[in-house]
Amino acid sequence: MNILRQLLRRLIPMFSIVVIATFLLSLLMRLLPGDPAAIMIPNGSIDQQIEIAKETGLDRGLFGYYWKWFSDVFTGDFGKYYLNGGYRDLGGVIADTLPVTLMLIIYAQIVALTIAIPLGLASAYKEGKRFDRITSTVMFTTVSFPSFALALIFSLIFAVNLGWVDPIGYVSPSENLGEHLKLMILPVMSLAFGLASGYTRLLRTDVIATLKDDYVTMAASKGISNRRVLWRHVFRPSSTTLLTSAALNMGGLIGGTIVIETIFVIPGIGYEIFYSIGARQVVAMQTLIALISIGYVFFNTMVDLLTQITDPRTRERRA
Amino acid sequence: MPDNSLSSTETAEPVVKTKKPRKTIGFYLASAWISLVMFLALFGWVLPTPQWDEASYDNLGVAPFHPSHILGTTNDGYDMMASIVNGAKISIIVSLVAVLIGGGIGSFIGITAAYFRGKYDFAVTMIFNIMLSIPNLVLSLALLSVLAYSDENNPASMTRRVVVLIISLIIVIIPILGRIARGSALQWGSREFVLASKSMGSKNFFIIRKHILPNVAPAILAIGFLAVGSVIIVEGSLALLGIGIPGGASWGSMLANGRGNIEYSPHEVYLPALCIAFTVISFNWFGDYVRVKLDKRESKI
Repeated sequence: MNILRQLLRRLIPMFSIVVIATFLLSLLMRLLPGDPAAIMIPNGSIDQQIEIAKETGLDRGLFGYYWKWFSDVFTGDFGKYYLNGGYRDLGGVIADTLPVTLMLIIYAQIVALTIAIPLGLASAYKEGKRFDRITSTVMFTTVSFPSFALALIFSLIFAVNLGWVDPIGYVSPSENLGEHLKLMILPVMSLAFGLASGYTRLLRTDVIATLKDDYVTMAASKGISNRRVLWRHVFRPSSTTLLTSAALNMGGLIGGTIVIETIFVIPGIGYEIFYSIGARQVVAMQTLIALISIGYVFFNTMVDLLTQITDPRTRERRA
Repeated sequence: MPDNSLSSTETAEPVVKTKKPRKTIGFYLASAWISLVMFLALFGWVLPTPQWDEASYDNLGVAPFHPSHILGTTNDGYDMMASIVNGAKISIIVSLVAVLIGGGIGSFIGITAAYFRGKYDFAVTMIFNIMLSIPNLVLSLALLSVLAYSDENNPASMTRRVVVLIISLIIVIIPILGRIARGSALQWGSREFVLASKSMGSKNFFIIRKHILPNVAPAILAIGFLAVGSVIIVEGSLALLGIGIPGGASWGSMLANGRGNIEYSPHEVYLPALCIAFTVISFNWFGDYVRVKLDKRESKI
């Protein structure tokens, strides 16, 4: 019951934020010079443009258009890409591209966490020693290394100079799993690098704090091996911030993959946004951006809610 | 650490006693790099380089350390050194102007929201949350593609694009710094000295200027430096996506142009990429240093 009320208290602001954000997006589309329908199909006849304006609700004024768009999306009609003469259904496009982007993000998160967890634990354990100083400096430097610069430098080294992998392209995992993973290495590495640095720093700070707790001294004095103390007694309580931050990053990463997907020509949702802007598909662009911000707000709300459920202390502090 | 805090609270001159942040080698490298980039941005025209937008057709895509082109040329014959210098000017101007104006507006809105509370605060928080719900790259992408709309018939001019880019980045920066300013100012607005000042009849904006702003400034400044870094990244990303500054006039734009020639003249890619990376890293180092140095409270604890 309590959880349900918490959920509602979060969902209502979340819903209103999404509604206002998407409304502002459609307002933004109105600022385009000229008729949006004419912009979408520059080579189409006047009749076709009128038809499209009617179909998308662009002829109904700002509020009418927004209501049409909103109710359409709500009932599962995501709108269309208008190509010369024909169209592509956006719902199908999203169904094809969203899994690719999610896969890219999840791979990057896995790689980042696999690098960050041992490094963070080790450098916290050796706090102040040379290993920690070197790791901390390197991590602080690389956390701000832009992923697109990394992507270009990686593809220069590994694809152009060494020729180990193809610089661009994408194969779906059901088609050829080996090839799929091979092509995903560079984009995943470019995304994971900066993430790993951030995670390592977070984990290091928390582990250093936990190591000072009495029960850790107790565990160590019982004669449990250092490795076991570190993994069993220290890592678990220290990982909350890390996991929260990893979950929060999911939303931000959907935006961040646009450049990576464009550089490596991966048919994900980011690439579709880039394409829809280039092809001036204002309706498609609005839907895709709305989708990303819905995902972003959704992840943030869910993380907030989950922390409240799992950690009662945050619940009391609010009241 | 504990006895340090004890002595600093008991002695009459706590500020002297507080631990100074260690100036690491990274800090010096960061300052050196920022100074160099600033120098290039301001006085780059004194360097004996060719015009950045004039191609030399005798030297197409030569590697760095060529006698007449110290950093080589692009595949189209543009001098890399001149392009880097010009790119430094545009990239630094764009990011500094965007962060200064956006940070100024954002801090003002955030601090006043935290100070006056009520409906105004509610509305500001709501607007900030809405703007933050769209990832910053996506937001600037949408703003830029609409505001700098151009097609074959009416291409947007260079100046217009730069101005629109700065405006988009300002809009992106406002909620980021505004939220930091608001959060930080909330802690100070209800303190005793603010109440005391109020009871003496001080005007609201006098209190904000004299009592709240100095306390909030370190946090804003530190995040401001980080924001310069992220704005440079966003500028580069937008250029790579083909809707930022065109024609190799900024670092990001150089990357976008050189990407196709990565096999023939790799320096076209790695030089601007490293410039962007070093600048972003340096600003982050700097921001971290400023945060530790200015935050005397934190060093006392």
